[in-house]
Amino acid sequence: MILTGTEILREHKRHKIKIDPFDPARATTNSYDLTLGHDFIRYREALIDPRKDNAYDKFAVGAEGLQLVQGDFVLGHSAETIGSDHYVPLIHAKSGIARLGLFVHVTADIIDIGSHGHVTFQLHSTLPIRLYPGMAIAQVTFWKPKGKIVLYDGRYQGSRGPRASEVHRDFVRSASSESDVSMTGRDPSDSPRAKRRSR
Amino acid sequence: MILTGSEIARKREAGRITIEPYSASHLNPNSYDFRLGTQLGVPVFKNGFLEFDIVDLPVDGYALRPRTMYLGHTLEKLGSDTYAMRLVGRSSLGRLGLFLQVSADLGHTGACHQWTLEIVAALPFKIYPKMRIGQISFWENLGTPDAYEQRYSAFNAPTPSSLGTRARDT
Repeated sequence: MILTGTEILREHKRHKIKIDPFDPARATTNSYDLTLGHDFIRYREALIDPRKDNAYDKFAVGAEGLQLVQGDFVLGHSAETIGSDHYVPLIHAKSGIARLGLFVHVTADIIDIGSHGHVTFQLHSTLPIRLYPGMAIAQVTFWKPKGKIVLYDGRYQGSRGPRASEVHRDFVRSASSESDVSMTGRDPSDSPRAKRRSR
Repeated sequence: MILTGSEIARKREAGRITIEPYSASHLNPNSYDFRLGTQLGVPVFKNGFLEFDIVDLPVDGYALRPRTMYLGHTLEKLGSDTYAMRLVGRSSLGRLGLFLQVSADLGHTGACHQWTLEIVAALPFKIYPKMRIGQISFWENLGTPDAYEQRYSAFNAPTPSSLGTRARDT
């Protein structure tokens, strides 16, 4: 079941949904609008290889905005910190943004229950577009889970600003196994405060 | 309602969900991480017709050209007669610009097979066979589901569209 806007307001008041800063006017019929933050990440690699720590530039953008060319890919972030220990958030583009050909996530819409932080937007433009910090770009819906809840305690917990992928850490553990490159257990460094390297 | 990770494990034990092969370490708070299979469908135009050449993914990786669609498949057999499913990407790979489907995220109740993935990379991207690539979530139905017996339900390799596909030109 999906929460209505009025239920999002109620559950926010009861601290079962956290959104900060919070503006009741941003609640819609079935969702809450998220706005674009100032910081962005752009990868510098000629070939993205999930086995390695892909190099990127992190930069801030002012009121002039950020011009994306057709086919661009950058990471942005929500200005809001969001999360819930009681509901599963899903991220969607605002339809007005989608109608301009911009993806705000790359088929990764689910946020784990118990994950709190800025949402990293995976921005892929199918047409040239200029983005401005503060614009309402995405919306979050909240869904009722069934079953015992085990809260997220993963590598992106507590994110501030856009967070680049850390998927290369999946591959570390099984580096000795040629036939199976998948991770067989959680990386022990998967703690909320794991070290960050920004290159 | 969406099942939590612990509920996915419970319902799998009860035979209501199929995930094969299965590893408890792939459970997330509200989904299960699946892996990429070993074959890839590479799009080619032959005499104006779209076809997919099926290749085996090398262990040391395969470089995808950006903004082209390839057909992949899940390593696991995934399905349920009880729940509807959604196949989505992992945020760790979405953060690198890898799409796993082209706005077709719904898995019907009753389907059980290795799922075909529509893989599109926003940037040049290297994929590896058996890498943890996406996640599946399970959703409770309201109403009695019909058994799903449509065109793709028996297929395990990357399966091209069964719509008559004629490209206007390349």
